[in-house]
Amino acid sequence: MKYSLIVLVLFLYHPTEAQLERKLDAETQAVELIFHAPRHINLLTVEPLDKKTLHFAIMHTFGPLNGGIQNLYGLDNGANIQFSFEYALNEKFSLGAARSSRDKFYNLYGRYHLLKQTLDNKIPLSLSLMGGAGVNTSDYTFLQEANPNFTDRTSFAAQVMIARKFSDKVSLQISPMIAYFNDPNPIYFIEGDQNLYLAVGLSGRYKITGKSSLTFQYIPNLNNELKSNVGIGIDVEAGGHVFQMYFVTSQALNEQYLLAAGNGILGEEFRIGFNVNRVFATGIRKN
Amino acid sequence: MKNFIVFFLFLFILTSSRNAFTQVYKTEAGNVEFLSKASLNEFTGVSSKLNGLIDLEKNELDFYIDLNTLKTGIGLRDRHMRENYLETKKYPFAEFTGKVKEEISLRPGEIKNVTAIGKFKIHGVEREMTVPGKLIAISVNEVKLEAQFKVMLSDYKINIPRVVFYELADEQIITISLNLKK
Repeated sequence: MKYSLIVLVLFLYHPTEAQLERKLDAETQAVELIFHAPRHINLLTVEPLDKKTLHFAIMHTFGPLNGGIQNLYGLDNGANIQFSFEYALNEKFSLGAARSSRDKFYNLYGRYHLLKQTLDNKIPLSLSLMGGAGVNTSDYTFLQEANPNFTDRTSFAAQVMIARKFSDKVSLQISPMIAYFNDPNPIYFIEGDQNLYLAVGLSGRYKITGKSSLTFQYIPNLNNELKSNVGIGIDVEAGGHVFQMYFVTSQALNEQYLLAAGNGILGEEFRIGFNVNRVFATGIRKN
Repeated sequence: MKNFIVFFLFLFILTSSRNAFTQVYKTEAGNVEFLSKASLNEFTGVSSKLNGLIDLEKNELDFYIDLNTLKTGIGLRDRHMRENYLETKKYPFAEFTGKVKEEISLRPGEIKNVTAIGKFKIHGVEREMTVPGKLIAISVNEVKLEAQFKVMLSDYKINIPRVVFYELADEQIITISLNLKK
Protein backbone atom coordinates (compact mmCIF):
# COMPACT_ATOMS: atom_id res chain seq x y z
CA MET A 1 0.00 0.00 0.00
CA LYS A 2 2.75 2.37 1.06
CA TYR A 3 4.73 1.61 -2.09
CA SER A 4 1.84 2.01 -4.42
CA LEU A 5 1.27 5.41 -2.86
CA ILE A 6 4.86 6.39 -3.62
CA VAL A 7 4.41 5.15 -7.15
CA LEU A 8 1.26 7.18 -7.47
CA VAL A 9 3.07 10.29 -6.27
CA LEU A 10 5.89 9.67 -8.73
CA PHE A 11 3.41 9.42 -11.55
CA LEU A 12 1.50 12.48 -10.50
CA TYR A 13 4.73 14.39 -10.39
CA HIS A 14 5.56 13.33 -13.89
CA PRO A 15 4.65 16.34 -15.98
CA THR A 16 2.42 15.60 -18.91
CA GLU A 17 2.03 18.85 -20.78
CA ALA A 18 -0.41 19.32 -23.50
CA GLN A 19 -2.13 22.40 -22.17
CA LEU A 20 -1.59 24.55 -19.14
CA GLU A 21 -4.13 24.33 -16.41
CA ARG A 22 -6.19 27.53 -16.31
CA LYS A 23 -6.10 29.10 -12.90
CA LEU A 24 -6.99 32.51 -11.57
CA ASP A 25 -4.20 34.69 -10.33
CA ALA A 26 -5.94 35.56 -7.07
CA GLU A 27 -7.99 32.98 -5.27
CA THR A 28 -10.33 35.43 -3.64
CA GLN A 29 -11.52 38.38 -5.61
CA ALA A 30 -13.29 41.35 -4.19
CA VAL A 31 -16.75 42.13 -5.44
CA GLU A 32 -16.58 45.43 -7.25
CA LEU A 33 -18.99 48.25 -7.95
CA ILE A 34 -21.53 47.36 -5.30
CA PHE A 35 -22.77 50.89 -5.91
CA HIS A 36 -21.91 53.29 -8.70
CA ALA A 37 -20.26 55.85 -6.42
CA PRO A 38 -19.27 56.61 -2.82
CA ARG A 39 -22.58 58.45 -2.59
CA HIS A 40 -26.00 57.03 -3.18
CA ILE A 41 -28.79 59.64 -3.18
CA ASN A 42 -27.89 61.28 0.17
CA LEU A 43 -26.12 58.47 1.98
CA LEU A 44 -22.51 57.35 1.86
CA THR A 45 -21.81 53.85 0.59
CA VAL A 46 -19.20 51.14 1.08
CA GLU A 47 -17.79 51.91 -2.37
CA PRO A 48 -14.08 52.54 -1.79
CA LEU A 49 -11.79 54.92 -3.61
CA ASP A 50 -8.50 53.97 -5.19
CA LYS A 51 -5.41 55.12 -3.36
CA LYS A 52 -4.58 58.79 -3.90
CA THR A 53 -7.75 59.59 -5.77
CA LEU A 54 -10.06 62.45 -4.97
CA HIS A 55 -13.77 62.00 -5.14
CA PHE A 56 -15.79 65.13 -5.74
CA ALA A 57 -19.54 65.25 -5.40
CA ILE A 58 -21.81 68.20 -5.90
CA MET A 59 -25.24 67.52 -4.52
CA HIS A 60 -28.44 69.55 -4.72
CA THR A 61 -31.94 69.25 -3.38
CA PHE A 62 -34.52 71.77 -4.50
CA GLY A 63 -37.85 73.01 -3.18
CA PRO A 64 -40.95 70.82 -2.98
CA LEU A 65 -42.52 69.64 -6.23
CA ASN A 66 -46.00 70.73 -5.20
CA GLY A 67 -45.36 74.35 -6.20
CA GLY A 68 -46.04 73.08 -9.74
CA ILE A 69 -44.89 74.73 -12.92
CA GLN A 70 -45.21 78.18 -11.28
CA ASN A 71 -42.06 77.37 -9.27
CA LEU A 72 -40.73 75.02 -11.95
CA TYR A 73 -41.40 72.08 -9.67
CA GLY A 74 -39.35 73.45 -6.84
CA LEU A 75 -36.30 74.51 -8.84
CA ASP A 76 -37.10 78.19 -8.20
CA ASN A 77 -36.97 77.68 -4.45
CA GLY A 78 -33.49 77.92 -3.12
CA ALA A 79 -31.56 74.71 -3.45
CA ASN A 80 -29.53 73.18 -0.68
CA ILE A 81 -26.15 72.53 -2.26
CA GLN A 82 -23.37 70.42 -0.85
CA PHE A 83 -19.84 70.27 -2.16
CA SER A 84 -18.05 67.21 -0.97
CA PHE A 85 -14.43 66.23 -1.42
CA GLU A 86 -13.07 62.91 -0.27
CA TYR A 87 -9.45 61.90 -0.62
CA ALA A 88 -8.26 58.31 -0.28
CA LEU A 89 -5.03 58.04 1.71
CA ASN A 90 -4.98 54.34 0.90
CA GLU A 91 -7.34 51.65 -0.33
CA LYS A 92 -9.01 51.45 3.08
CA PHE A 93 -9.15 54.94 4.48
CA SER A 94 -10.33 58.23 3.10
CA LEU A 95 -10.87 61.68 4.55
CA GLY A 96 -13.64 63.97 3.44
CA ALA A 97 -14.77 67.54 3.76
CA ALA A 98 -18.21 68.74 2.79
CA ARG A 99 -20.02 72.01 2.92
CA SER A 100 -23.79 72.33 2.69
CA SER A 101 -25.35 75.71 1.98
CA ARG A 102 -28.16 75.12 4.46
CA ASP A 103 -26.86 76.59 7.74
CA LYS A 104 -23.49 77.02 5.97
CA PHE A 105 -22.55 73.71 7.48
CA TYR A 106 -19.00 72.36 7.25
CA ASN A 107 -18.51 68.68 7.89
CA LEU A 108 -15.27 66.73 8.22
CA TYR A 109 -15.45 62.99 8.06
CA GLY A 110 -13.49 59.80 7.58
CA ARG A 111 -14.49 56.56 5.96
CA TYR A 112 -12.79 53.26 6.71
CA HIS A 113 -13.40 50.04 4.82
CA LEU A 114 -13.11 47.13 7.19
CA LEU A 115 -14.44 44.26 5.06
CA LYS A 116 -14.82 43.75 1.36
CA GLN A 117 -17.29 41.27 -0.05
CA THR A 118 -15.56 38.52 -2.05
CA LEU A 119 -16.74 36.57 -5.07
CA ASP A 120 -16.31 33.22 -3.32
CA ASN A 121 -18.51 34.45 -0.44
CA LYS A 122 -15.82 33.84 2.16
CA ILE A 123 -16.63 37.41 3.13
CA PRO A 124 -20.34 37.72 2.33
CA LEU A 125 -20.61 41.48 2.76
CA SER A 126 -18.73 44.74 2.73
CA LEU A 127 -18.52 46.74 5.91
CA SER A 128 -17.34 50.33 6.25
CA LEU A 129 -17.30 52.82 9.08
CA MET A 130 -17.87 56.53 8.94
CA GLY A 131 -17.43 59.21 11.55
CA GLY A 132 -17.69 62.96 11.20
CA ALA A 133 -17.88 66.27 12.97
CA GLY A 134 -19.47 69.41 11.61
CA VAL A 135 -20.08 73.01 12.45
CA ASN A 136 -22.88 75.40 11.56
CA THR A 137 -21.32 78.69 10.44
CA SER A 138 -24.49 80.67 9.82
CA ASP A 139 -24.50 84.25 11.03
CA TYR A 140 -26.63 84.55 14.14
CA THR A 141 -25.21 87.86 15.43
CA PHE A 142 -28.76 89.28 15.43
CA LEU A 143 -29.37 87.02 18.41
CA GLN A 144 -26.78 89.07 20.27
CA GLU A 145 -26.08 87.32 23.61
CA ALA A 146 -27.92 84.21 22.47
CA ASN A 147 -25.55 83.80 19.52
CA PRO A 148 -24.46 80.18 19.81
CA ASN A 149 -20.75 79.65 20.31
CA PHE A 150 -18.59 77.22 18.39
CA THR A 151 -19.29 74.30 20.70
CA ASP A 152 -23.03 74.90 20.50
CA ARG A 153 -22.83 74.87 16.73
CA THR A 154 -20.99 71.58 16.57
CA SER A 155 -22.63 68.26 15.80
CA PHE A 156 -21.38 64.76 15.16
CA ALA A 157 -22.38 61.77 13.05
CA ALA A 158 -21.30 58.16 12.84
CA GLN A 159 -22.52 55.17 10.92
CA VAL A 160 -21.73 51.59 10.07
CA MET A 161 -22.36 50.73 6.43
CA ILE A 162 -23.06 47.10 5.69
CA ALA A 163 -23.65 46.20 2.07
CA ARG A 164 -23.97 43.19 -0.14
CA LYS A 165 -24.17 42.78 -3.88
CA PHE A 166 -26.75 40.02 -4.14
CA SER A 167 -26.52 39.68 -7.89
CA ASP A 168 -25.18 41.64 -10.84
CA LYS A 169 -28.30 43.75 -10.59
CA VAL A 170 -29.24 44.03 -6.94
CA SER A 171 -27.18 45.63 -4.16
CA LEU A 172 -28.46 46.58 -0.73
CA GLN A 173 -26.94 48.52 2.12
CA ILE A 174 -28.06 48.92 5.69
CA SER A 175 -26.47 51.74 7.68
CA PRO A 176 -27.23 52.18 11.37
CA MET A 177 -26.63 55.89 11.97
CA ILE A 178 -26.25 58.16 14.93
CA ALA A 179 -26.13 61.94 15.13
CA TYR A 180 -25.47 64.16 18.11
CA PHE A 181 -26.10 67.89 18.37
CA ASN A 182 -24.41 69.74 21.24
CA ASP A 183 -27.24 72.25 21.13
CA PRO A 184 -30.31 71.52 18.98
CA ASN A 185 -31.10 75.21 18.74
CA PRO A 186 -34.48 75.93 17.05
CA ILE A 187 -32.76 78.64 15.02
CA TYR A 188 -30.99 75.91 13.03
CA PHE A 189 -32.69 74.29 10.06
CA ILE A 190 -33.52 71.23 12.09
CA GLU A 191 -36.88 70.07 13.32
CA GLY A 192 -35.78 67.84 16.17
CA ASP A 193 -35.18 69.17 19.67
CA GLN A 194 -33.20 66.23 21.01
CA ASN A 195 -29.44 65.99 21.23
CA LEU A 196 -29.20 62.41 20.06
CA TYR A 197 -30.73 60.94 16.93
CA LEU A 198 -30.75 57.32 15.86
CA ALA A 199 -31.81 55.99 12.48
CA VAL A 200 -31.22 53.17 10.04
CA GLY A 201 -30.32 54.09 6.49
CA LEU A 202 -31.40 51.66 3.82
CA SER A 203 -30.00 51.99 0.31
CA GLY A 204 -30.75 49.82 -2.65
CA ARG A 205 -30.01 49.70 -6.30
CA TYR A 206 -31.34 47.73 -9.21
CA LYS A 207 -29.11 47.79 -12.25
CA ILE A 208 -31.02 48.28 -15.47
CA THR A 209 -28.15 48.57 -17.95
CA GLY A 210 -24.37 48.32 -17.69
CA LYS A 211 -24.17 51.95 -16.70
CA SER A 212 -27.44 52.84 -15.03
CA SER A 213 -29.43 51.74 -12.03
CA LEU A 214 -32.67 52.54 -10.27
CA THR A 215 -31.92 53.70 -6.74
CA PHE A 216 -33.75 53.82 -3.48
CA GLN A 217 -33.20 55.12 0.04
CA TYR A 218 -35.25 54.98 3.21
CA ILE A 219 -34.05 56.34 6.54
CA PRO A 220 -36.50 55.47 9.33
CA ASN A 221 -35.90 57.33 12.58
CA LEU A 222 -35.66 55.22 15.66
CA ASN A 223 -35.92 57.54 18.65
CA ASN A 224 -38.05 60.48 17.61
CA GLU A 225 -41.30 61.46 15.94
CA LEU A 226 -39.73 63.06 12.89
CA LYS A 227 -40.88 61.88 9.48
CA SER A 228 -38.67 59.32 7.81
CA ASN A 229 -36.66 60.18 4.72
CA VAL A 230 -37.64 58.47 1.47
CA GLY A 231 -35.87 58.78 -1.87
CA ILE A 232 -36.09 57.12 -5.25
CA GLY A 233 -33.97 57.86 -8.26
CA ILE A 234 -31.70 56.80 -11.04
CA ASP A 235 -27.90 56.61 -11.30
CA VAL A 236 -26.32 57.04 -14.71
CA GLU A 237 -22.64 56.68 -15.47
CA ALA A 238 -21.52 58.88 -18.31
CA GLY A 239 -18.18 60.27 -19.28
CA GLY A 240 -16.50 59.26 -16.04
CA HIS A 241 -19.17 61.02 -14.02
CA VAL A 242 -21.91 59.36 -12.09
CA PHE A 243 -25.09 61.40 -12.33
CA GLN A 244 -27.66 60.72 -9.66
CA MET A 245 -31.14 62.14 -10.14
CA TYR A 246 -33.78 61.51 -7.53
CA PHE A 247 -36.94 62.49 -5.76
CA VAL A 248 -36.51 62.81 -2.04
CA THR A 249 -38.63 64.03 0.88
CA SER A 250 -35.90 65.96 2.70
CA GLN A 251 -33.68 68.80 1.66
CA ALA A 252 -30.93 67.69 4.05
CA LEU A 253 -27.65 66.52 2.53
CA ASN A 254 -25.22 65.81 5.34
CA GLU A 255 -25.55 63.01 7.87
CA GLN A 256 -26.39 65.13 10.93
CA TYR A 257 -29.16 66.98 9.16
CA LEU A 258 -30.50 63.86 7.45
CA LEU A 259 -31.29 62.58 10.92
CA ALA A 260 -32.41 65.77 12.64
CA ALA A 261 -33.73 68.10 9.97
CA GLY A 262 -37.08 66.43 9.47
CA ASN A 263 -38.61 65.30 6.25
CA GLY A 264 -41.55 66.27 4.14
CA ILE A 265 -44.70 64.26 3.99
CA LEU A 266 -44.51 61.24 1.77
CA GLY A 267 -46.50 61.79 -1.42
CA GLU A 268 -46.83 65.51 -0.81
CA GLU A 269 -43.43 66.93 -0.37
CA PHE A 270 -41.11 65.19 -2.75
CA ARG A 271 -38.39 67.34 -4.22
CA ILE A 272 -35.99 66.98 -7.06
CA GLY A 273 -32.43 66.15 -6.11
CA PHE A 274 -29.35 65.88 -8.25
CA ASN A 275 -25.77 64.71 -7.57
CA VAL A 276 -22.76 64.67 -9.81
CA ASN A 277 -19.87 62.39 -8.76
CA ARG A 278 -16.42 62.46 -10.25
CA VAL A 279 -13.17 60.80 -9.29
CA PHE A 280 -9.88 62.52 -10.01
CA ALA A 281 -6.58 60.69 -10.04
CA THR A 282 -3.78 62.58 -8.31
CA GLY A 283 -0.05 62.06 -8.52
CA ILE A 284 1.90 60.98 -11.56
CA ARG A 285 0.09 59.17 -14.32
CA LYS A 286 1.99 56.13 -15.47
CA ASN A 287 0.84 56.14 -19.09
CA MET B 1 3.68 -7.08 -5.68
CA LYS B 2 7.40 -6.43 -5.71
CA ASN B 3 7.57 -7.02 -9.43
CA PHE B 4 4.72 -4.67 -9.86
CA ILE B 5 6.58 -1.90 -8.03
CA VAL B 6 9.78 -2.56 -9.89
CA PHE B 7 7.87 -2.38 -13.14
CA PHE B 8 6.37 0.97 -12.28
CA LEU B 9 9.65 2.35 -11.04
CA PHE B 10 11.25 1.27 -14.27
CA LEU B 11 8.45 2.92 -16.21
CA PHE B 12 8.90 6.07 -14.22
CA ILE B 13 12.65 6.22 -14.80
CA LEU B 14 12.04 5.63 -18.47
CA THR B 15 9.46 8.39 -18.82
CA SER B 16 11.28 10.85 -16.60
CA SER B 17 14.57 10.32 -18.38
CA ARG B 18 12.79 11.01 -21.63
CA ASN B 19 11.48 14.15 -19.98
CA ALA B 20 14.98 15.42 -19.50
CA PHE B 21 15.29 15.69 -23.25
CA THR B 22 11.89 17.19 -23.95
CA GLN B 23 11.72 20.68 -25.22
CA VAL B 24 9.05 22.08 -22.95
CA TYR B 25 9.50 25.67 -21.84
CA LYS B 26 7.16 27.38 -19.42
CA THR B 27 6.55 30.63 -17.59
CA GLU B 28 3.96 32.22 -15.35
CA ALA B 29 5.28 35.74 -15.60
CA GLY B 30 5.10 36.83 -19.21
CA ASN B 31 4.24 40.38 -20.14
CA VAL B 32 1.16 41.46 -22.04
CA GLU B 33 0.24 44.91 -23.17
CA PHE B 34 -2.77 46.06 -25.11
CA LEU B 35 -2.87 49.38 -26.87
CA SER B 36 -6.17 51.07 -27.60
CA LYS B 37 -5.61 53.76 -30.16
CA ALA B 38 -8.80 55.72 -30.65
CA SER B 39 -8.82 59.04 -32.48
CA LEU B 40 -8.84 61.20 -29.35
CA ASN B 41 -7.64 58.94 -26.63
CA GLU B 42 -4.89 56.39 -26.46
CA PHE B 43 -4.19 54.14 -23.52
CA THR B 44 -2.54 50.87 -22.65
CA GLY B 45 -3.28 48.08 -20.25
CA VAL B 46 -0.58 45.81 -18.90
CA SER B 47 -0.16 42.60 -17.00
CA SER B 48 2.88 40.55 -16.14
CA LYS B 49 0.95 37.41 -15.39
CA LEU B 50 0.94 35.76 -18.80
CA ASN B 51 1.21 31.99 -18.47
CA GLY B 52 2.89 30.29 -21.39
CA LEU B 53 4.06 26.93 -22.62
CA ILE B 54 6.12 26.15 -25.69
CA ASP B 55 6.87 22.58 -26.65
CA LEU B 56 9.55 22.75 -29.32
CA GLU B 57 9.40 19.03 -29.89
CA LYS B 58 5.72 18.81 -30.63
CA ASN B 59 5.64 22.36 -31.98
CA GLU B 60 2.87 23.22 -29.59
CA LEU B 61 2.00 26.48 -27.92
CA ASP B 62 -0.36 27.32 -25.12
CA PHE B 63 -0.88 30.70 -23.45
CA TYR B 64 -3.43 32.14 -21.12
CA ILE B 65 -3.87 35.18 -18.94
CA ASP B 66 -6.18 35.98 -16.07
CA LEU B 67 -7.82 39.15 -17.41
CA ASN B 68 -8.38 40.38 -13.86
CA THR B 69 -4.66 41.14 -13.72
CA LEU B 70 -4.84 43.74 -16.51
CA LYS B 71 -4.29 47.29 -15.29
CA THR B 72 -4.82 50.47 -17.27
CA GLY B 73 -3.69 52.92 -14.60
CA ILE B 74 -7.19 54.18 -13.75
CA GLY B 75 -9.06 52.11 -11.20
CA LEU B 76 -12.55 52.95 -12.40
CA ARG B 77 -11.63 52.18 -16.00
CA ASP B 78 -10.29 48.78 -14.86
CA ARG B 79 -13.49 48.03 -13.00
CA HIS B 80 -15.57 49.00 -16.02
CA MET B 81 -13.35 46.85 -18.23
CA ARG B 82 -13.86 43.84 -15.99
CA GLU B 83 -17.52 44.32 -15.26
CA ASN B 84 -19.01 45.75 -18.45
CA TYR B 85 -16.73 44.81 -21.33
CA LEU B 86 -14.57 41.75 -20.71
CA GLU B 87 -17.06 40.35 -18.17
CA THR B 88 -14.29 38.61 -16.29
CA LYS B 89 -16.66 36.99 -13.82
CA LYS B 90 -18.02 34.88 -16.66
CA TYR B 91 -14.93 34.80 -18.89
CA PRO B 92 -11.81 35.24 -16.74
CA PHE B 93 -9.23 34.17 -19.32
CA ALA B 94 -7.85 35.11 -22.68
CA GLU B 95 -6.27 32.04 -24.26
CA PHE B 96 -4.27 31.01 -27.28
CA THR B 97 -3.60 27.39 -28.14
CA GLY B 98 -1.92 26.39 -31.35
CA LYS B 99 1.02 25.12 -33.32
CA VAL B 100 4.16 26.64 -34.72
CA LYS B 101 4.18 26.46 -38.51
CA GLU B 102 7.94 26.20 -38.95
CA GLU B 103 10.28 23.45 -37.83
CA ILE B 104 12.20 24.78 -34.88
CA SER B 105 15.54 23.63 -33.68
CA LEU B 106 17.40 26.42 -32.02
CA ARG B 107 20.97 26.72 -30.97
CA PRO B 108 21.65 29.12 -28.09
CA GLY B 109 21.89 32.66 -29.35
CA GLU B 110 19.84 31.96 -32.44
CA ILE B 111 16.86 34.16 -33.39
CA LYS B 112 14.10 32.92 -35.59
CA ASN B 113 10.90 34.38 -36.98
CA VAL B 114 8.06 32.00 -36.38
CA THR B 115 4.35 31.84 -37.15
CA ALA B 116 1.82 30.48 -34.72
CA ILE B 117 -1.48 29.16 -36.00
CA GLY B 118 -4.19 28.42 -33.51
CA LYS B 119 -7.26 29.47 -31.66
CA PHE B 120 -7.59 32.68 -29.69
CA LYS B 121 -10.36 32.83 -27.14
CA ILE B 122 -11.65 35.78 -25.16
CA HIS B 123 -15.09 36.79 -23.86
CA GLY B 124 -16.34 33.28 -24.64
CA VAL B 125 -15.66 33.60 -28.37
CA GLU B 126 -13.05 31.46 -30.10
CA ARG B 127 -11.51 32.34 -33.46
CA GLU B 128 -8.73 31.05 -35.67
CA MET B 129 -5.69 33.29 -35.61
CA THR B 130 -2.25 33.46 -37.19
CA VAL B 131 0.36 35.31 -35.19
CA PRO B 132 3.84 36.18 -36.38
CA GLY B 133 6.48 36.24 -33.69
CA LYS B 134 10.15 36.09 -32.88
CA LEU B 135 11.75 33.28 -30.95
CA ILE B 136 15.12 33.83 -29.33
CA ALA B 137 17.11 31.00 -27.80
CA ILE B 138 18.84 32.62 -24.85
CA SER B 139 20.38 29.41 -23.57
CA VAL B 140 19.70 25.70 -23.65
CA ASN B 141 17.22 26.19 -20.86
CA GLU B 142 15.64 29.49 -21.79
CA VAL B 143 13.82 30.91 -24.79
CA LYS B 144 12.29 34.31 -25.30
CA LEU B 145 9.19 34.89 -27.36
CA GLU B 146 7.98 38.22 -28.69
CA ALA B 147 4.85 38.69 -30.72
CA GLN B 148 2.36 41.31 -31.70
CA PHE B 149 -1.12 40.87 -33.08
CA LYS B 150 -4.38 42.68 -33.48
CA VAL B 151 -7.74 41.86 -31.99
CA MET B 152 -10.97 43.45 -33.17
CA LEU B 153 -13.24 43.70 -30.11
CA SER B 154 -16.32 43.42 -32.31
CA ASP B 155 -15.13 39.97 -33.47
CA TYR B 156 -15.37 38.79 -29.91
CA LYS B 157 -18.72 40.39 -29.08
CA ILE B 158 -17.14 42.90 -26.74
CA ASN B 159 -19.19 46.09 -26.59
CA ILE B 160 -17.48 49.36 -27.21
CA PRO B 161 -18.57 51.97 -24.70
CA ARG B 162 -19.95 55.12 -26.19
CA VAL B 163 -20.38 57.81 -23.58
CA VAL B 164 -17.40 57.30 -21.29
CA PHE B 165 -14.40 59.33 -20.28
CA TYR B 166 -12.06 57.12 -22.23
CA GLU B 167 -12.46 56.30 -25.85
CA LEU B 168 -11.95 52.68 -26.71
CA ALA B 169 -10.78 51.60 -30.16
CA ASP B 170 -12.28 48.53 -31.79
CA GLU B 171 -8.82 47.46 -32.84
CA GLN B 172 -6.55 46.50 -29.96
CA ILE B 173 -2.86 45.97 -30.56
CA ILE B 174 -1.60 43.21 -28.27
CA THR B 175 2.10 42.82 -27.56
CA ILE B 176 3.41 39.86 -25.67
CA SER B 177 6.90 39.16 -24.46
CA LEU B 178 7.91 36.25 -22.31
CA ASN B 179 10.96 34.39 -21.11
CA LEU B 180 10.21 30.70 -20.88
CA LYS B 181 12.37 28.27 -18.99
CA LYS B 182 12.73 24.51 -19.03
